Amino acid sequence: MSGGRSPGANAAPMAPAPPVLSCRGLTKRFGGPEGGVLANDGVDLDLFAGRVHALLGENGAGKSTLMSMLSGAFRPDAGALLLRGEPLVLRSPAAAMRAGIGMVHQRFALVEALTGAENLALAAGGAPSPRAAAELAEAFGLLLDPKRRVSELSMGERQRLEILKLLACDARILILDEPTSVLAPAEISGLYGTLRRLADQGRAVVLVTHKLPEIADVADEVSVLRRGRMLARNMPRSQGLPTGWDLAGLSRLMVGRELPGASSGRQRRPGASARETVLRVRGLCGQGQPPAFADVHFEVARGEVLAVVGVAGNGQEALAAVLGGTKRPARGTATVLGREADQALVAYVPEDRHGTATVPGMTLAENLLLSTTGSRGAYLQGGAGSRAARAAIAALGVVASGPQALARDLSGGNLQKFILARELSKSAPLLVVEQPTQGLDVLAVSEVHAAIRRAAEESAVVLVTGDPAEALALAGRVAVLFRGRVAGVVDPGEAGAFARVGRLMAGLSDPAAEGPAGPVGVPGGKPGAGGRP
Amino acid sequence: MRPVRLVLEPRQASGAWRAAISLLSALALAGLLGSLVFALAGVDVGAAWRALAQGAFGSSYSLGEILVKAAPLILTGLAVALCCRLNLWNVGAEGQFVLGALAAGYVGLFLAPAGAQPWPAHFALPLALAAAALGGGAWALAPALLKARLGVSEILSTLLLNYVAVLFMEHLFYGPWRDPAGQGFPGTAELPEAVRLPLVMPWLPGARVHWGLALALALALALWFLLARTRWGFRARVLGQSPRAAAYAGFHSARITVTALCLSGALAGLAGAGELLGVQHRIQDGLASGLGFAGIVVAFLARLNLLAVPLAALFLGALLVGADQLQTGLRLPGAAALALEAALLFGALLGEFLAANRIRLVRAPAGEAGEARHAS
Amino acid sequence: MLPSPDWESLALLGQIAVKSSTAVLLAAYGEIVAERSGVLNLGLEGMLLLGALAGFAVGAATGDPAAALGAAAGAGALGALAHGIFVLSLGAEQVLSGLALSLLGAGLTGVLGRDLLGAPGLVLPSVPLPVLADVPVLGPALCNQPVLTYLALLLGPLLWWALGRTRWGLLVRACGENASAAYASGVPVRLVRYGCTCFGGALAGLGGAFLSLSYTPGWKEGLSAGQGWIAIAMVVFAAWRPLRALWGGLFFGLLTALQFTWQAEGAQWLPLWVLRAAPYLLTLLVLALAQTSAALRRRSGPPADLGRFFRPGG
Repeated sequence: MSGGRSPGANAAPMAPAPPVLSCRGLTKRFGGPEGGVLANDGVDLDLFAGRVHALLGENGAGKSTLMSMLSGAFRPDAGALLLRGEPLVLRSPAAAMRAGIGMVHQRFALVEALTGAENLALAAGGAPSPRAAAELAEAFGLLLDPKRRVSELSMGERQRLEILKLLACDARILILDEPTSVLAPAEISGLYGTLRRLADQGRAVVLVTHKLPEIADVADEVSVLRRGRMLARNMPRSQGLPTGWDLAGLSRLMVGRELPGASSGRQRRPGASARETVLRVRGLCGQGQPPAFADVHFEVARGEVLAVVGVAGNGQEALAAVLGGTKRPARGTATVLGREADQALVAYVPEDRHGTATVPGMTLAENLLLSTTGSRGAYLQGGAGSRAARAAIAALGVVASGPQALARDLSGGNLQKFILARELSKSAPLLVVEQPTQGLDVLAVSEVHAAIRRAAEESAVVLVTGDPAEALALAGRVAVLFRGRVAGVVDPGEAGAFARVGRLMAGLSDPAAEGPAGPVGVPGGKPGAGGRP
Repeated sequence: MRPVRLVLEPRQASGAWRAAISLLSALALAGLLGSLVFALAGVDVGAAWRALAQGAFGSSYSLGEILVKAAPLILTGLAVALCCRLNLWNVGAEGQFVLGALAAGYVGLFLAPAGAQPWPAHFALPLALAAAALGGGAWALAPALLKARLGVSEILSTLLLNYVAVLFMEHLFYGPWRDPAGQGFPGTAELPEAVRLPLVMPWLPGARVHWGLALALALALALWFLLARTRWGFRARVLGQSPRAAAYAGFHSARITVTALCLSGALAGLAGAGELLGVQHRIQDGLASGLGFAGIVVAFLARLNLLAVPLAALFLGALLVGADQLQTGLRLPGAAALALEAALLFGALLGEFLAANRIRLVRAPAGEAGEARHAS
Repeated sequence: MLPSPDWESLALLGQIAVKSSTAVLLAAYGEIVAERSGVLNLGLEGMLLLGALAGFAVGAATGDPAAALGAAAGAGALGALAHGIFVLSLGAEQVLSGLALSLLGAGLTGVLGRDLLGAPGLVLPSVPLPVLADVPVLGPALCNQPVLTYLALLLGPLLWWALGRTRWGLLVRACGENASAAYASGVPVRLVRYGCTCFGGALAGLGGAFLSLSYTPGWKEGLSAGQGWIAIAMVVFAAWRPLRALWGGLFFGLLTALQFTWQAEGAQWLPLWVLRAAPYLLTLLVLALAQTSAALRRRSGPPADLGRFFRPGG
């Protein structure tokens, strides 16, 4: 089942029923008729009622563009949509909704200042009614309090609200874009149960993802998109394989090459004797009411990578900002080599590349001067900035036209490499990196990971991430934040480490809690396990 | 027949070409709107534009007047443009202009007259200018602090203070500062020679161009250098483009905001001093005639480019001088100049849009018209 | 120095206070609706002037109050439409377009109104409500007012209900809080925003007509004297809520009324210019206070998508 098969070979699966929605030759180009990017190039796809369809592809493969055309957000430049065999033209998401096609975007389309019931009414028409909303939620087994404002809901609840919105509009085709990326591992199985039920009720469900193993259980068929072209479509499960899928073959198809030896050799735990402690965090509490995080203690030695993981909104964003020196803690201390942390002592790669780590409208040379203190004094040392930017570009192989290139013109991966190179050039004893590979393609991910590993040879590294796999691949210790507290610290080498991190992220009780690595400061009153469906 | 629809797409063009498109479309729309105003006012549109051109370029005197108007416009334009580069709106240049004039007037009226001053006469002018910068800057301080400390919109605070400044100035020249020898005419006495800005061409009678123009040009260069080449300017630009990046880099955003607004106020204050010390020589009704508000038009005609501000100021100066001819020749009120400024601003907005976007006519793909009923 | 506390002068003070708040109230309501839909319109001052001149000119020409008010509302809405085209269709900077509209209103009315300066025209007098107007103190204040003042008093609760309790209000709030989410839910965001902007312009136009037909009957260049800006400040103070705007507007009216009485009595303890500047200075003070309390209570910020351009994809 490798890339050798022609796309057409799988086009006629065992389905007796005709597809509910088909695309034929969909093409979409961005940025002018000549040049620009061909995001989708003659894409064909069939969706069937009663099946969960996984659309695989790397970041930038054209998945979102394709789904945006299916859901009415973009109009194709060429090609056609067929709804139950009839040609279909979609002028807006609302038109798609009327045709029974609904999409849950990676960034939820919810009005945060309104309640769940009001959001439902917005989509489905009529006046907001919390009782009707609660009944609808009940009917589909989606737990939700429709009277609460969206801003107070967890990511999982928001996702359920989004699905409910589509169901309230009687969507027959549901598209979910990277639905697992905002969920804790334990919530994912709940989502899959919902999707299975919806498919069994006769709906067509599309899961868009770049994380192949995650969807292996729930998918009935798979299509693979790479660089805007459909390389394999409507491949059914094969019974002979243990997971039902040739995962290696599919990932080759997605990436188009063998992966560089990824996640080879996770970080060893340093010998306690020789290593010097760089970062000491004592009783650190964040700002806000309630505080974003509280009672955080840990130490990180030179040559060590400590990962802090948590589902978005559990306090790791604020913790990273405090460690990175851009926010002040409410209480507690974080010292680097015994001193108060400042820009010279901490290299910090924040999550937001465009707008926080760099100024998009400025050149790389100017962006280099943003966080480095290399040229002090009253005047801007443009020449020094250019030289240093050139060095940074060379250090990590950034693809850019030169120091005068604007930050906004770099791709996400290249900009991230530039930021990393800039921060590493400071040779600071502590490196704090936050969500370093979000939205990057596989090659860039492996380069960024390699750079972090190299940095860990010289300095102490704190890796803040929402991706447990990344944490386990890079770190010597993984601290899990739940509701602002360190729920537990996991050694990646121990058996069942991944499952344990997943349970801790979801706030489930930790059976393996013992010893000094146990849950530091978990409040006995709210383990959080009961609150989650 | 296939339907045609308009498609917008980002324009891929060089900076110079974009600037040209922006400028041309701005002028085109401004001309159109201006003609509309003239037509609504019931005057012959052609005659109005001819009168305007005649008034602006008809004589060597009017050419000199353009330079006279340009001097304060450069400064208020710089004041607005500086703030906009930091994503701040100083719409209080009018009030800062007034306070600058008042501070300079105080020096002229009470510190500089012969016999009163304890210093040599040639200190009087620099002192008056310094006082003006201080006065304008101080008038911007309250909005700056309110913005930096409490997050009060600087648009509203600077604007509301304009009314206060004008009322205060009227109070002074109707009351305590009124010229006792003025036979009841509201206004202060003429300022002494020592504080007046010297004329550039004193030998030419009627040429009122004063050295304030040179000061304004020098300040334009200095301000450009400050923003482009100094560390403070770099921080200010970062803050203007991305406050989050400024916080990441550890810049003191509040301090930069306060400094920039006060600097902007000082520039507007100097504009007021130039108008008082170089042209009017006494504080009276009509000293604040919208030159502060016109700074907004200048700044956006220059597309916030500090080095282009003098050119934009010359252009608007010509328009204002020409508009005076509309008053005398066609009996249109002075408000006509405001309407033309508004037309220019709307024109600049359209220009910005056309510089960034291309409009294409697209024929819908075959078949769309037929299926459109299906789901739209 | 303070007026002697007899009932009659208190009633008069109340009447002037409520009357003085009318233009600011109408303009502020309009701005609240526009801003709740996501459009910042700093052109209130210009729309007040456009409405004032249109209302006065049509009133003088026809003598028909309905035609005068219709013209005023239409002129205000037309100004708002211009703003809408620039910010909603062309994606122009909303602050700048609003300033341009203010400038246009001042310039255009100055030019077009040049022959109407000091001319006689229609006057919309106070209409005492039967029986109610005779209630002591409150009667004259609330029930012996021009029609537009009644409108201003009623619109507060009406808009509170409409914004918070109706589907129409839900659509408006959704557009202002998250335009792309509203669009994804099938709300015609641009249409809603155009509608709200023009509605706001019409209300500001009516506020202007109140100034030129009821408050100080007659046309005068720049007769709004910054009331449009005070109305915008009132919106911030009211945290974008119509009922709070009602209280804020009445408070502003009380200040104006006190200024009149003190001025009439020749109060010496405050210089006249400070008295005349008081509305602007106190508005600034109130803004600062509102910001402090908002910071303390961490609620009632502006609509999340206020001032942001929205363009449907594709």
